[in-house]
Amino acid sequence: MKVGEHEILEGLYYTRSHEWIKFEGNLARVGVTDYAQKQLGDVVYVELPEIGKSVKQTTEPKTKEMELGAVESIKAVSAVYSPLSGTVKETNQVLQDRPELINTSPYSEGWICVLEPSNIEGERGSLLSPDAYATFLKTLG
Amino acid sequence: MKQLHLAKVHRSLSAQMVPFAGWEMPLQYSGIVGEHMAVREAVGLFDISHMGEISVRGPMALDFLQRVTTNDISKLMVKEAHYSTVLNERGGTKDDIFTYRLGEQDYMVVVNAANADKIFEWFKSQAEGDVEIENITMSTVMLAPQGSKAQAVLQKLTDFDLGTLGRFRAGFIEVAGMEVLVSRSGYTGEDGFEIYLMGEPQSKPMRGEKLWNELLRAGLEFGIKPCGLGARDSLRIEAGYVLYGHELTEEITPLEARIGFVVKFDKGDFIGREPLLEQKGGGLSRVRVGLRMRERGVPREGYGILADGEVVGRVTSGVLSPLLGVGIAMGYAPPEIETAREVAIEIHGKPRAAELVRPPFYDTAKFGFGRKQVG
Repeated sequence: MKVGEHEILEGLYYTRSHEWIKFEGNLARVGVTDYAQKQLGDVVYVELPEIGKSVKQTTEPKTKEMELGAVESIKAVSAVYSPLSGTVKETNQVLQDRPELINTSPYSEGWICVLEPSNIEGERGSLLSPDAYATFLKTLG
Repeated sequence: MKQLHLAKVHRSLSAQMVPFAGWEMPLQYSGIVGEHMAVREAVGLFDISHMGEISVRGPMALDFLQRVTTNDISKLMVKEAHYSTVLNERGGTKDDIFTYRLGEQDYMVVVNAANADKIFEWFKSQAEGDVEIENITMSTVMLAPQGSKAQAVLQKLTDFDLGTLGRFRAGFIEVAGMEVLVSRSGYTGEDGFEIYLMGEPQSKPMRGEKLWNELLRAGLEFGIKPCGLGARDSLRIEAGYVLYGHELTEEITPLEARIGFVVKFDKGDFIGREPLLEQKGGGLSRVRVGLRMRERGVPREGYGILADGEVVGRVTSGVLSPLLGVGIAMGYAPPEIETAREVAIEIHGKPRAAELVRPPFYDTAKFGFGRKQVG
C-alpha cells in the first residue's frame, strides 16, 4: 500500500519513530521505513548496534538504552529506536560498505538488525499495524 | 522568512526548501552526494542570493574599510577582490567577508546572510565623514556556477574572454544579454564564478530567472546540476573553508582560525588590532585543526576531540566526505595536539581513531582550482 509516495508493506509492524518489525519465529528483524529513508535523503553511514546489546522498548523520554545505532545522511544523524525490549542477535554488516541500501531497499536488503525480544506478549500491542501506520503517516502531511 | 528571487524556479525543480539564516533556501534538488560530485567532477549551479551585499562608496570609503576590516584595502586594484574579516574590539570575528573594489571609490562587501543586518548596522555606526553605506542584498541575485567546467559553461553565454579573468578578479560583463558582475571566486574549492545581477526587483525577477535557466541550459552538455546548501556545506568542508557560526564566532579570532593571512598588522590601525597583536605575542591557546577519520564514523559538530584519551576540544564542522568516503572534520584544540601520539573523535560515545590533516582534504593535484589540467 502507498501513502503519497511512501511504501508500506503488509505483514510488518511499525512504530511512530518509523521503524519496521518483521517477526521471524521468536526473533524480530528491524529496519527503517520508506518514509524514514526519504526524510533522511542519501544515507552515507549506518552505525550498527553491538551484538549482545540489550535494549528497552522505546518510550518517552527516549534514552540511549532504547537505541539500535543510527542512520546518517550528509546533513543529519537519525537514531534507530528499538521497537521492542530484547537483545541484539545479528546486525547487517553489508550496510558498512553499502549504506545506500537503506535508500534503495529499506524493507529488504536495508534491514538493520535482528532482535531476540524478551517481552513479546507484553509489548506487541504497542506496535502499529500497516493500516495504523498509514493513518499515522497521513497525520504528518 | 525571506524568499529568494528565484524561489518559484527552485520549487519547480522539486528542491527541498529549508530555513537558513532567515531565508527559505534550497537544501538539495536531486541529492547532496550527486550534487557534490557534479561540482568536484564537472560543474554545479548554486543560487546564493541570500548572501548579503553592502555597497560602500565615497571619498572616505577606503579609510573606512581599512578601519573596520583586517585585510589591506589599499592593495586592492579596481576589479580586484580579497577575503577579509570584520572584528569586534576584543579581536573576535563579527564576520568573514569578501571585498570587491568596483571603482576608484566604490567597494562592495559580501557578507554572510546570518550577519548581513548586523554588519550593515555596525558599518553605519562606525562610519565617519563622506562615505555612503547601502545594503543592496534584497535587489541582488547571486548565482555561482562552480567546478572545472564552469568556465566552459559561462563562456557560451558571453563574448568576454573569461580566460583573461584571474582568480579573485571581477568585472562587469554581458552574460546572456544582461550586464552582470562576474567574479572568479567561490566557496567549493573548485574553479568557478560568482555572478551578481544587481537592481533586480523581487516581484518580477525575469532577468534572474533567465540567467539561471540559461546557465543550466549551457551546462547541460557538461552534466550541470542545480546544487543546494547541503552540497555547498560538504564542498566547503572538503576544501577546509571556515563557516561563520561554526569555525568563526564573536569569540574566535582569525589567528585562532588560522586565517591570519587576512590580517595585515602593518597597514595601520583597525578595530581589533591591539587584542590580536597581544594574542600573537602571547601564543594561541587553541587553533583550528583538520581531522580525517582512520576508523568508521561521521564526525559531527559538538563531538569531542581526544588527544591521548583526553577530551581537548570540539568538532565545529564534520561530514562524511562524498569524494573520499571517510569522515572529515574541523574543530578547535590546543596547538599541542600536534604532538599527541593518538588523536580520536568521540562518535556515538566511542573514541574513533583520526589523524590531523591540513586541509584541503582532497589531493590538490587532482581536485580543486589548482588541479593539473588534463588534456
